[in-house]
Amino acid sequence: MSAKSVQMVLYPDTHLDQAAETIHRLRQHGIDDRDISVISGVPYSDKILGRPMSWTRIGLIGLAGAVVGFAIATSLNFGTPYLYPIRVGGQPFFPIPTSIVVTFELTMLGLLISTFLGVFIETITPSYGPKGYSPKVSDGHIGVLFSCPTEKMDEVKKGLEDLKPEWVKNPEAKL
Amino acid sequence: MAAETKTLSATHSASQEGEDLRQEHLMHDPKPREEMNGMVMEAMQTTSKKYWIALAIFGLGVLILLFGFWGNQIITGMGVTGKRRPVFWALYITTFVFWIGISHAGTFVSAILRVFKAEFRRPFTRAAELMTTFGLAAGALFPLIHLGRVWTFYWMIPYPNARWLWPNFRSPLVWDFLAITTYLLSSTIYLYLPLIPDLAMARDRSTGWRHSIYKLLALNWRGTEAEWHRLRKAINIFAFAIIPVMFSVHTIVSWDFAVSQTVGWHSTIFGPYFIIGAILSGVSAVVMILFIIQSTMKNMKYFIRLEVFDSLGKLVLIFSMAWAYFFFNEYLLHWYGGYQAVRDLLTFHAQGPTAWVWYTMLICNVAIPWLTLWNRKIRRTPLAMFIITTLVNVGMFAERYTIIPLTLGEQRFPFDWGAYSPRLTDISIVIGTFCLFIFLYLLASRLIPLIPVWEVQEGQMAHSTRKLGKGKVTSVAELE
Repeated sequence: MSAKSVQMVLYPDTHLDQAAETIHRLRQHGIDDRDISVISGVPYSDKILGRPMSWTRIGLIGLAGAVVGFAIATSLNFGTPYLYPIRVGGQPFFPIPTSIVVTFELTMLGLLISTFLGVFIETITPSYGPKGYSPKVSDGHIGVLFSCPTEKMDEVKKGLEDLKPEWVKNPEAKL
Repeated sequence: MAAETKTLSATHSASQEGEDLRQEHLMHDPKPREEMNGMVMEAMQTTSKKYWIALAIFGLGVLILLFGFWGNQIITGMGVTGKRRPVFWALYITTFVFWIGISHAGTFVSAILRVFKAEFRRPFTRAAELMTTFGLAAGALFPLIHLGRVWTFYWMIPYPNARWLWPNFRSPLVWDFLAITTYLLSSTIYLYLPLIPDLAMARDRSTGWRHSIYKLLALNWRGTEAEWHRLRKAINIFAFAIIPVMFSVHTIVSWDFAVSQTVGWHSTIFGPYFIIGAILSGVSAVVMILFIIQSTMKNMKYFIRLEVFDSLGKLVLIFSMAWAYFFFNEYLLHWYGGYQAVRDLLTFHAQGPTAWVWYTMLICNVAIPWLTLWNRKIRRTPLAMFIITTLVNVGMFAERYTIIPLTLGEQRFPFDWGAYSPRLTDISIVIGTFCLFIFLYLLASRLIPLIPVWEVQEGQMAHSTRKLGKGKVTSVAELE
């Protein structure tokens, strides 16, 4: 197995086409999509950059949080009265309409907090793909990061020459 | 010669058209990202002597008017306030409803306009979201202040006491607690999520303690596809989910009143009536804040343009009309109901010694916006908009004052009638929360990028003009 090095090229955000073309050419040079990563200061859809669809479990995590919130609300509404039953004449033991309010609020709280936790968890979870950063990205540049076998580097560099990218030295992420 | 003249004038008018469009719309006047970042950072890092004086004054206001008087109230007892039988819900609850109403604007402006893809929202969503968070922080103090024996506040938290008695979840006061907690947490997160890329920008452009704080808060943001994808997904979930939460909060606040048998409160339309009022006062407060930001902070004239005041002016006008509709609906049906106590109350509001409050409400909420905001020129004059929206908020405060102490003083039995006069403690604490709101906002304006630069740039990239017939029209691309 040959050694790989992480490389990064930058384009101003006005040169979006060149960035997309770079990704295309890297693929032609045999670099797998998993070894390519794009970093940018504004969001671009996968379609614009010609990248495979990204996925996230945030929706699922949010849904799971909503279920937990619903379960807590149900136990507060219908479980706690059993712990110390106080029966009041003419009043139902489990009043449904008033319980709906608590159920709604806690379900939404569960959904929203877990969505945020989802972002947090996915952020700190180790991810595949090359790591690297350049502060120029937040100043309006698009960075294409890729891991490339060292013996292929010259060939790749030559292949991207006409796109006039800015090569970043030592792109390893240091924030 | 004639043909030449025509061509020249056509060229001139086309370039003029382009210039007008640039001046008018931020989305058509792009600057390089680096320059926009620099402008936002400069606004954040510039602090004049005036700023520090204002910060000190409002900080002192918080210390003395809010915590000083509140501390005295805790030590001395509720007798230092003007609350007396029969008016036990007075200025504190009035101000509580007012702040919760103000807090609706952030969600309304940010979430609803985001869902409907209203492009003019882009430069000021964060200013509005900050208002929500700080408005809630100020409002959430009032149930505690109103409680008197504040050390027992934890009885509302759902856990059993020594006798295994749980809080009564059927009580609207527990609903209030849950709704406000949910809204405060979710709106704070909703403020934070779109802030992450801007915090990363600030991290890249700062040093020292600022860098350390931004680095921590930016969660190692680099702007990868995966990060953007999950951020967008989370923002979308929040934008859709926070809207019903927003509606629920003020509906529940209205139920604090409507579920009782109190004359003037027991109404089926109190929920939507309160929500419309909240949005009216909230959007008006956004205009006030934007005027202050635009006129006091560096570089903000580029981001906050007349189009923003124009669009928000239209919204204020629409919500003023909606508020008038709900008010009239509520008034007419109460009056037609023929219940003597209700009629007496309505007569008292309009003709009693405090009728000036009722008329202030109608003049500020209806007459002033209707007479002014139809006019484009007025909507595009920031100072005029500031004055009008301040008056709308005065009107909305008067509305809450009419609904709460002025209604409670005039109930079914004449022997139980009474008037409420706020005392120094009531007034100071209320002013203290205004100081708290301004103090927090002043601090945040120097710590948080008030303009969501990435959203502005995204909008500018999506906007272009294309020729249609003989004119140029705006075209917005779908980048998501």
